[in-house]
Amino acid sequence: MATDATQPRQAGEIETALLACAAGDKSALKRIYEVESPRMLGVAQRLLKRRALAEEAVQDAFVLVWRHAARFDPERGAGLTWIYAILRNRSLSILRDEKRTETSDTPIAEETASEEDDPETVMSKLSDATALRACLEMLPPQRRGLVLLAFVQGLTHGEIAGRLKLPLGTVKSWIRRSLLSLKECLG
Amino acid sequence: MSPAADATSPEYNALAGEYVLGLLEGQERDAAEHRLEQDSAFATAVERWRRHFAALDATATPITPPADLWSRIEAGIAGLIQPAASAATLRPATAGPGRLAEWWNSLFVWRGAAFAGALATILLAVGLVGALDRAKRQPLMVAVLLTDSNAAAAVVHTFADGRVEMLPLQSIDVPAGKALEIWTLWDRAVGPRSVGLIDRARSTPLRLDNLPLGKDQLFEITLEPATGSPTGRPTGPIIAKGTTSQRL
Repeated sequence: MATDATQPRQAGEIETALLACAAGDKSALKRIYEVESPRMLGVAQRLLKRRALAEEAVQDAFVLVWRHAARFDPERGAGLTWIYAILRNRSLSILRDEKRTETSDTPIAEETASEEDDPETVMSKLSDATALRACLEMLPPQRRGLVLLAFVQGLTHGEIAGRLKLPLGTVKSWIRRSLLSLKECLG
Repeated sequence: MSPAADATSPEYNALAGEYVLGLLEGQERDAAEHRLEQDSAFATAVERWRRHFAALDATATPITPPADLWSRIEAGIAGLIQPAASAATLRPATAGPGRLAEWWNSLFVWRGAAFAGALATILLAVGLVGALDRAKRQPLMVAVLLTDSNAAAAVVHTFADGRVEMLPLQSIDVPAGKALEIWTLWDRAVGPRSVGLIDRARSTPLRLDNLPLGKDQLFEITLEPATGSPTGRPTGPIIAKGTTSQRL
């Protein structure tokens, strides 16, 4: 896919390493760890806000990658996409679990996100080369902000509605319509 | 929103997008995961969204992991019952659809393992209860307070005469000028109440006085200034937390 511009240099390396993991080669997992763990920790930190939880998510993700490497199928998708899907799923589980038992007055979702993670800053950091950037730019800023808050900070429909003081139905329909426009633009 | 049945419809694609954004919850998410396993068109749509949104993950500021993170991962791997190598030989490299969903399902297996760990700590706590039993001090309820990494840091016991005590199970690093504050929460509307402040991990009675006390009540330890939280609410990092369970 032309838009997979995140790390073209490593295309193929991750897939090879995952196949080696499936064969029981732990040094292959270590290679993935060395290349990807700082960014994975950055992604988990944006979702979970707390360092200890972000580390736990990355730790769990690597154990899961190792455990399920045999199920990775290069025909069905890229290795990095697979790894980050595991990381994101694990992070979101931790995020939703954490919210259920939290006693702190500052639930994770309301904990101040770093300014770096706010939608327009994230937009400015998006590589010019990606189709996603061009297509997001075609959306009105507020609507694109909703999509970015969901993906980057892991907010639910309800949390986005609360944060932006918008009715829940509006948030749901704006995100859905944004996805329809994005799909049309991305092809 | 009813899931669109037609694999080519834009609504169906948007549903895949919402799944990738992490916006589906409960039944909707379960349904999407089931579909991911059964329906290759849906799986393709999900993979496309993931690839596009990967550009956003690329904008995250990298954070150098702590030195011990790799050894924690190795420890996690070592704890697995079935080595991945044998799984690899059993599985063809290109099996049919459903692997994505499989690994997702196995997250529950993984979480099951975490719960087994938690259960082991509860059994440990029950063992402690047994020791106390000799002194005819049977608690009514026990809460095992777990750290982020599911290690048992302390237990809270409640007794028939209204006494509540906390016993640490491991030492806790308390920096100078800081203290450990213990909180309980029985009703979110009321919020957490402070029930104890200690300078280091040691056994301590908790002052619940006239506060309610019941099953599934949350206790947690946070790190606060030496004189206690200035706001009367937890402000520092959570050291450990857990909820009460009735003794059999």
